[in-house]
Amino acid sequence: MAAPLTLVLIVAVTIRAALFRSSLAEIISERVEVVSPLNAWKRVVEGLALLDLGVSPYSGDVFHETPLIIYLFHFVIDYVEIVYMLADCITAVALYLAVQHYNKNVFRKQKTTLEFDKYPHDCLELMRTPKEMFYIPLKVAMFYLWNPFTILSCVAKSTCGLNNAVIALFILSTIKGSALLSAIFLALATYQSIYPLTLFAPALIYLLQRQYIPVNFRNTRFWLLASQYAFMYFGSLLVIVCLSFFLLSSWDFIPSVYGFILSVPDLTPNIGLFWYFFAEMFEHFRLFFICVFQINVFFYSIPLSIKLKEHPVFLMFMQIAVISIFKSYPTVGDIALYMAFLPVWNHLYRFLRNIFLVCCVLLACSALFPVLWHLWIYAGSANSNFYYAITLLFNVAQILLVSDYFYAYLRREHHLKHGLYLKRKDGGEATLVLK
Amino acid sequence: MRMCAHLLGEQKMGSQNTLGIFAVFVLLLYLSTAQSNDVEGRARQFFSSGHTNNWAVLVCTSRFWFNYRHVANTLSVYRSVKRLGIPDSHIVLMLADDMACNHRNPKPATVFSHKNMELNVYGDDVEVDYRGYEVTVENFLRVLTGRLPPSTPRSKRLLSDDHSNILIYLTGHGGNGFLKFQDSEEISNVELADAFEQMWQKRRYHELLFIIDTCQGASMYERFYSPNIMALASSQVGEDSLSHQPDLAIGVHLMDRYTFYLLEFLEDIHPSSQSNMNDLFKVCPKSQCVSTPGHRTDLFQRDPGSVLITDFFGSVRKVEITTATINLTAPAAPVPEEKEARLYTDERPSQTFSYVDQLPVAEIIHQKPKQKDWHPPDGFILGLWTLILLVFFKTYGVKHLKHIF
Repeated sequence: MAAPLTLVLIVAVTIRAALFRSSLAEIISERVEVVSPLNAWKRVVEGLALLDLGVSPYSGDVFHETPLIIYLFHFVIDYVEIVYMLADCITAVALYLAVQHYNKNVFRKQKTTLEFDKYPHDCLELMRTPKEMFYIPLKVAMFYLWNPFTILSCVAKSTCGLNNAVIALFILSTIKGSALLSAIFLALATYQSIYPLTLFAPALIYLLQRQYIPVNFRNTRFWLLASQYAFMYFGSLLVIVCLSFFLLSSWDFIPSVYGFILSVPDLTPNIGLFWYFFAEMFEHFRLFFICVFQINVFFYSIPLSIKLKEHPVFLMFMQIAVISIFKSYPTVGDIALYMAFLPVWNHLYRFLRNIFLVCCVLLACSALFPVLWHLWIYAGSANSNFYYAITLLFNVAQILLVSDYFYAYLRREHHLKHGLYLKRKDGGEATLVLK
Repeated sequence: MRMCAHLLGEQKMGSQNTLGIFAVFVLLLYLSTAQSNDVEGRARQFFSSGHTNNWAVLVCTSRFWFNYRHVANTLSVYRSVKRLGIPDSHIVLMLADDMACNHRNPKPATVFSHKNMELNVYGDDVEVDYRGYEVTVENFLRVLTGRLPPSTPRSKRLLSDDHSNILIYLTGHGGNGFLKFQDSEEISNVELADAFEQMWQKRRYHELLFIIDTCQGASMYERFYSPNIMALASSQVGEDSLSHQPDLAIGVHLMDRYTFYLLEFLEDIHPSSQSNMNDLFKVCPKSQCVSTPGHRTDLFQRDPGSVLITDFFGSVRKVEITTATINLTAPAAPVPEEKEARLYTDERPSQTFSYVDQLPVAEIIHQKPKQKDWHPPDGFILGLWTLILLVFFKTYGVKHLKHIF
């Protein structure tokens, strides 16, 4: 499968290179849907220029990247486009390998369960065959590389692409089973933007599952592995943070990066939910609502982990989706990452209920974003409410997509346990409802 | 003297005769003095009572297409006021948005007040003084109080004096105690009352008629405390002013009810009409307006029944023809001579001035190239790569070490 993957990579690189050379690159790097104050390329250049002038790049409200990004771009500032294309390729290859390995695991598990005859007899049509699963890794790589959102994000040189690469490497190392690497990549991802912290739980659950340790709080082996993993994770996070201190010999980066992400001072419109709400929020209540909104991102990990403790990879997908919808400065690059996973759940197609509506809404909103922005900012005949409405609709569509997949997944699992044609106690046909 | 001697001489003739002649004499004396003072007195009366000029400040505070009716309201009052004689130079018209040239107007260059496009209140000669984003609370208050920057043109100023009757008409979206300007700021009833008090103290009006057509409009005149103000509002506190009728071709409501019926009432007024304010108070009763219009006359000196509509809405000039000469001003004192000499002495500059070079080309040409003079500290690089190597070897085993060394 290396050849088709290489072809996909070449086509993707060609598209990006063509767009880099065209005049669209300027326009795209200005768009608020693609870049945010956290990951705009303009700000990286500004920060590096400030550094050359002898001023700390974190002075003023312009630069919100981590010191490691400074280090990286200090040396490769002339080859930026190659770096971003390389990051996209790394992400695609990492996802490809991860999904391949995951599919092997899934198939193996299915085979053993079939041998032990654990499935109800009418579930034959729900079984997955190698033939259908053969092209899934390639499709994942394609979905990531040829997604217009990813292309836009790469052409705009938003550091979201680098974040996606780190998260993809984290997923790869988790699925391959290497706890140390997975902890390190997760620490890097958390170090860059705080939200991947929620991916700690699915990674832990996956590693436990690999070692056949049940998720039971009374089990000593559970606590052993959990503490090992937590120690590795927090240790590497600490090491990275301390290392960043030594780059500029100051702790300035902590309020600039983490304080900025958590307290959301910049209310430039983007595709997220924070800006409009806080633009009209009274100062008195601001802290309360900041806390509410930020807890909202982290809160879903608890019930989702409890429900999906047998299925950590799906949990990972859900967490990434929740992060990219509810984070404080989302961009389309974040969306591209979880959309790349959708081919892995191809077999759930028969249980999806709202997919047509969601697709239409997402397409329509993506088309309407620039239109309403133009009407609001340039033509002056709309106002922020119009743009916010589209933002809201876009996020609602994403939530609907994710919850639809959640429903389909759980329903399939239910059918695999209780048979495809469910009967109520009195013999009539039953329907499944997600509560 | 001779008369008295004659009278004394004929005392016995009759004291009544004496008294009659004396009275006639006194009367003649009085009349002669009165005759010479009559023109002066009437001239004085001309300037000391009543108003001599009319002004109108008409403000529409809402923008966006669906607030078409507020612009139509203001334009219909503008039309009436102009028709009744107030010239454009005495009208300050403030419209927050341009409906006639809005992209959504199916009939460009028109603003209609009646459905089926019966009446175009935009007309051919409308002069808007404050348009679009110039209609702000600050500008409105500055117009009223006259505290405008010196560069403001005359058309944007309210050049009223203490004999001016001013009509102030406001329309837009309002609430209890405030009126919203442009969807981003508001003016409160306290601010408005203070502005009117400033106007009174600066003698900028003789009498003021304040009309407001917004939701809960009566709250806006609750706080007035300056004399000679009469106020009308389209709805009481807690009530909403409703719009009149939509036009399906244009797609929006064309007018608000109160102003619609006000316009119909004003269409019947002509410059010599004798209708008074009591008729104005009866415009738009609850059956037509749904809201209850209110008015306030306690600050007004005259009885509203004696105030003509044209006192505020029209510009009726009082003209009295006289052939007598009237001395109105005291002669001015002559300017002293020595002051004049000092005005025109020319001062030679003590040194020559020159401009600083705006574009120092010499410096730019020899600009040094920008050098990157920041490098990450060595300790950092060392630490980072050591960690990376450690992780690599931990993951893939120590046997790869021999490839490095």
